[in-house]
Amino acid sequence: MIEALADTTGLVLQETVEESPFLTDIGAAALAVGLSALAAGYAERGIGAAAVGAIAEDDDMFVPGIVMTVLPETLVIFAIVAIFLVQ
Amino acid sequence: MNASGSNPESGTLGASNPEYVVGRVRSRRASLFADEDYRKLIRMGPSGIARFMEESEYEREINELGTRFSGVDLIEHALNRNLAKHFQDLLDWSEGRLYDLIARYLRKFDVWNLKTIIRGIYTDTDPEEYQTDLIRAGELDDRTLDRLMEADEIEDAIEMLSRTTYYEPLMAAYEEFEETGALVPLENALDRAFYERLLEDVSRPPGQEQPQEGPEARYIEFLQAEIDFRNARNALRLARSGADLDPASYYIEGGVLFEESELNRLVADYDELIDHIAENKRYGDRLSGALDRLRDADSLIQFEHAVDAALLQYSDTLSSIYPVSVSAVLSYILAKEREVENIRAIARGREVGLDESEIEEELVIL
Repeated sequence: MIEALADTTGLVLQETVEESPFLTDIGAAALAVGLSALAAGYAERGIGAAAVGAIAEDDDMFVPGIVMTVLPETLVIFAIVAIFLVQ
Repeated sequence: MNASGSNPESGTLGASNPEYVVGRVRSRRASLFADEDYRKLIRMGPSGIARFMEESEYEREINELGTRFSGVDLIEHALNRNLAKHFQDLLDWSEGRLYDLIARYLRKFDVWNLKTIIRGIYTDTDPEEYQTDLIRAGELDDRTLDRLMEADEIEDAIEMLSRTTYYEPLMAAYEEFEETGALVPLENALDRAFYERLLEDVSRPPGQEQPQEGPEARYIEFLQAEIDFRNARNALRLARSGADLDPASYYIEGGVLFEESELNRLVADYDELIDHIAENKRYGDRLSGALDRLRDADSLIQFEHAVDAALLQYSDTLSSIYPVSVSAVLSYILAKEREVENIRAIARGREVGLDESEIEEELVIL
C-alpha cells in the first residue's frame, strides 16, 4: 500500500512541477543577484574594517578607504546583467 | 585552536577584528622614521633631536615631559612613553585570539619592568628615579606596578605577584638569590618564564605533529627564531667573556638551534660555536654576513645588530606572505622597538661625543 502511495505522490509531484517549475528564469536570476550581494557583503566586511582602521589613523585615507570598500560591489553589478539576459 | 571565522586569529565568528587591527598597524608602520631620517638625526645635537621629534609622532610626549626633563633624558623618557602608548593601543584594539597572541609577545615588557623594579629595590633607589624607565606596555596594570615599586624587600615584591605566572619561577630563584646575593637567578627566571610561555599552546609538544603551514606555523617559526637568537646571543657573550658561569642556566627551551647538552660544549669553544650557527640551515644564510664579520673582527655588537635586522626582515617577509595575520602586528612591534633603540643610540652617542660614523655603526638599519 505504501508503494502505491509513493507512486501517486510521485505522480502528483511531477504534475505540479510541470504546471509551475521550481525556478523560473527570472527567479533564478533574482537568486543569483541575491547570492552575489551576500558575497559582496562578506567581502566588504573585512575591507571595511581595515579601511576604518586606516581612516582612524589618517583622515586622508577616507576616499581611498571608501573606494576600496565598495570595490566588491562590482560583483552585484555583474550579477544584475543576468537579469537583463533572461528578460 | 579556535578556527571560527575566516581568520584564524579572530575569536568570534564574523568579527573583522584582525583586519581592523592590521589596517591601523600598517598605517602606523608607515609613519615610522625612514632610514634617511636617521641620517639627518645623526648630524643633530640632543636639542635638535628633541625638536625633530616634536614635529613628528612624539609631539605629545615631548610637550608633556618638556617641563620636567631636558636633553637626552627628555628624549629617552619621551621614547619610552610613546612606545608604551603604542603598544597599549595594540592591546586595546585587538580581541580574542589576536589579543592573546599579541599580549603573549608584549609580556616581554612586563619582564623588563619587573627586572627594573627588582634592581631598583636591590639598590635601594628611590622609585621616583626609575619609574620613568618602566615601559607600561605589558599586561601588568599601572596599579600593580606602582605597588611593586613601593615594596621594600624583593620578597615582598614577589609576594605581590602571587597571582601571575612569574610567581613560581621567581620563588624558586629567590632561594638561590638569598644564597648568592646576585640578581642573575631572578632575572634568568623571569626571562625563562617569558620565553617558555611564548610558545605555550601554540606549538605542540615534541613528538606530536606541528602545524606545517599557514600563519600559525610561521608564527611559531618566528618565535623560535627569537628564542634561537636569544640563545645564540647569550652563548656568544658567555664564550666571549670567558666567565665561569653555567651556560645551562641561561638556556631557553623551545628553539631549534641549540640543544641544552651541546650548549655546554659549544660555549667552551668559540670557533665551533660560530660554525654551529653558520651550519644551521634555517639561519646560516641569513646571518652569514654577520658571522663572517664576527670571525674577522671582535664585534659582538655588530653581530647583535645583524641578528636584530635579520629578525625584523624575517617578520616583514611573513607579514607580506600572510597580510591579515598577527605577523603584521609583530613586524610593527619590532620596527617600533628598533626605531626607539636607534633614536636612543643616536641621542646617547651625540651626548658622549661619538662621531657620525661611530654612531652609524650602532644603528640597526636594514
